Amino acid sequence: MRSRDVFSYSFGAIKLRKLRAGLTTLGVVIGIAAIVALLSITQGLQNTITNQLETGLATDTLIVSSGRSLFSQDGTGIGSGFGDGDSDFKLFINDTESINALSPDIEISVARIQRAIYIQTSERGFLINVIGVDFSEYAKIYSSTFTAESGAINFNPENSEAVIGKTLHDPWENGTLLFSVDDEVEIIWTNSTVRPPKNETYTGTVKAVLKEIGGFSFGGPSDTGVYIPISQAQSFFDTDECSQIVVKLTNSDQATIDSVSELITDAFNGEVSVISSTAVLSIIGSVFSIIQLFLVGIAAISLLVAGIGIMNIMIVSLIERTREIGILKALGMKSLTVLMIFLGESVIIGLIGAVLGAGLGWVLANVVAVVLSGGGLFSEIGGGQAASVGAASMDIVPVLTPTVLLGALGFGIGISVIFALYPAWRASKLKPVEALRYE
Amino acid sequence: MAPIVEAVDLKKTYMLGKIPVEALRGVNLKVESGDFLAILGPSGSGKSTMLNLIGALDKPTSGTLLIDGVDVSTLSDNQLSDLRRRVGFVFQFFNLIPRFTARDNVELSLSIGGIGKSERKKRAERLLETVGLKDRVNHKPAELSGGQQQRVAIARALANNPRFLLMDEPTGNIDSRTAREIMRLVKRLNTENGVTIIMVTHDQHLAREAKRMVYMFDGIITSDITNGEGT
Repeated sequence: MRSRDVFSYSFGAIKLRKLRAGLTTLGVVIGIAAIVALLSITQGLQNTITNQLETGLATDTLIVSSGRSLFSQDGTGIGSGFGDGDSDFKLFINDTESINALSPDIEISVARIQRAIYIQTSERGFLINVIGVDFSEYAKIYSSTFTAESGAINFNPENSEAVIGKTLHDPWENGTLLFSVDDEVEIIWTNSTVRPPKNETYTGTVKAVLKEIGGFSFGGPSDTGVYIPISQAQSFFDTDECSQIVVKLTNSDQATIDSVSELITDAFNGEVSVISSTAVLSIIGSVFSIIQLFLVGIAAISLLVAGIGIMNIMIVSLIERTREIGILKALGMKSLTVLMIFLGESVIIGLIGAVLGAGLGWVLANVVAVVLSGGGLFSEIGGGQAASVGAASMDIVPVLTPTVLLGALGFGIGISVIFALYPAWRASKLKPVEALRYE
Repeated sequence: MAPIVEAVDLKKTYMLGKIPVEALRGVNLKVESGDFLAILGPSGSGKSTMLNLIGALDKPTSGTLLIDGVDVSTLSDNQLSDLRRRVGFVFQFFNLIPRFTARDNVELSLSIGGIGKSERKKRAERLLETVGLKDRVNHKPAELSGGQQQRVAIARALANNPRFLLMDEPTGNIDSRTAREIMRLVKRLNTENGVTIIMVTHDQHLAREAKRMVYMFDGIITSDITNGEGT
């Protein structure tokens, strides 16, 4: 029998039981839709986060912070994250000199003093990041992002100057400006090292507004930062310690990144963590792989249920059509052809289910993406008396790679075929005489 | 010329639960090309079992059965399927596929034989014309009378130019007037088209239309009479 005739015979059998076949197909549709939606939305989320990280992190820089890190290269496990830590070890501003001396691959290193600070305007207060850095050296590392959109960064700053991120200039993106050039920013810091704790106030004149950067910041300039000269930060916060040291390398080869990371870690006896953007990205990538695997696993269960549904109706169909199978065999149809007819039915159900499911999944992913990004999970700032100035808004674009699409289609069809194998095999093994006698 | 069917000491034992039932207890039979054989006997005499063996629907327990000179017991499952395609089977209960039209039922047999679509359509229509159903090609079995359904079944059985036609009580399920029409058709196929026919029946009158009458009882052939040579 020709394969085209086998296929049209299968199709005819399905058409005869439209509702039953439709419900079975629905099972596959739901399973595949879940897989496609979850995969494309998590892939989109990963891309968004990765993009934002890449904007914030130059590939040829390392961030050194005190404390063993979650991101440590040796994988010794869960540490303190980065930036602060349980460790007593502190990085000092002049550690940049010893770092610079470690390797010829190090071009420059810059210390950052970073504090989450409450700032006061006439109307309301905000929690933002105040960062003390050497403007001219910082600009050498982040030449593309530490640049002024309005005003000008004074690379030999005098006292009481400030550079602010774009979000602080125009937080609502509607023309109502918070701080502009020549405004004064009043920073209030509670010094808890003295008794009684005392509020210190720093007033800086805005000299420049950075152009919009987007993304998160690990050591790099941020839209939500207030930058003051490091000497000012030192005396205002009354400290010689720094939060991070940003190290710029002469190149971004992985070998250079690895060797310098190791040199720095060894130089501080392992008490510091060194993060490279590639390490962060690869960790984000592997975290997302685990999340995807988990979600797809859950979705796969629904497809498994669909598969059992297919098996169920195929067995019912086999019993109903026992006599028909007997006729086919009496007419000289080979067992293999009977098998193919039954498998053909499940392939058709699986194919239709998988195609519809992939389409539905893609629609779902886009709806979820619109809800997540348009709803402005991260875009609102202010609102409360001391609301945090959040990260930039997350625009999630669902991604459906051909691999995922083909994989989902293949999986749907595969499940259908696997669960139809047993009923199809039983159909093919029916003895013609007995099948013909079946009532 | 070698006989089309040759059975030598053919035995078939069924297991009914745990009890063996000897349906055939040593049958010897030769059928030549162009023959028209009626197998008679009460129910349980083994005539349907005999027909199933000749139609390659079942395998004998012992003895030899040569169909077209080939020993059936040596054939594989696939080879039996191929053999069935060279045998036209007509059942008492028609066994048409209900969702198919008359033409589709005949075409099904042809498509199992691997014949292409346009050729199939032409041959199916010609066969239905032969059995007198030219104006019923697009009717489904439910829209046809018993006699018409049996004609479709005969057309289907003839589709792949079989070596012989096996008929299991072909008129057992239709009224006597239609039965006579069917018999006229069968006889015409035998005399005009030279189709070899082996027919199981318990109707003496119909059996007299055949060239040869074989009586079976309790799993063996008790008599073998050629019509016209006396009773």
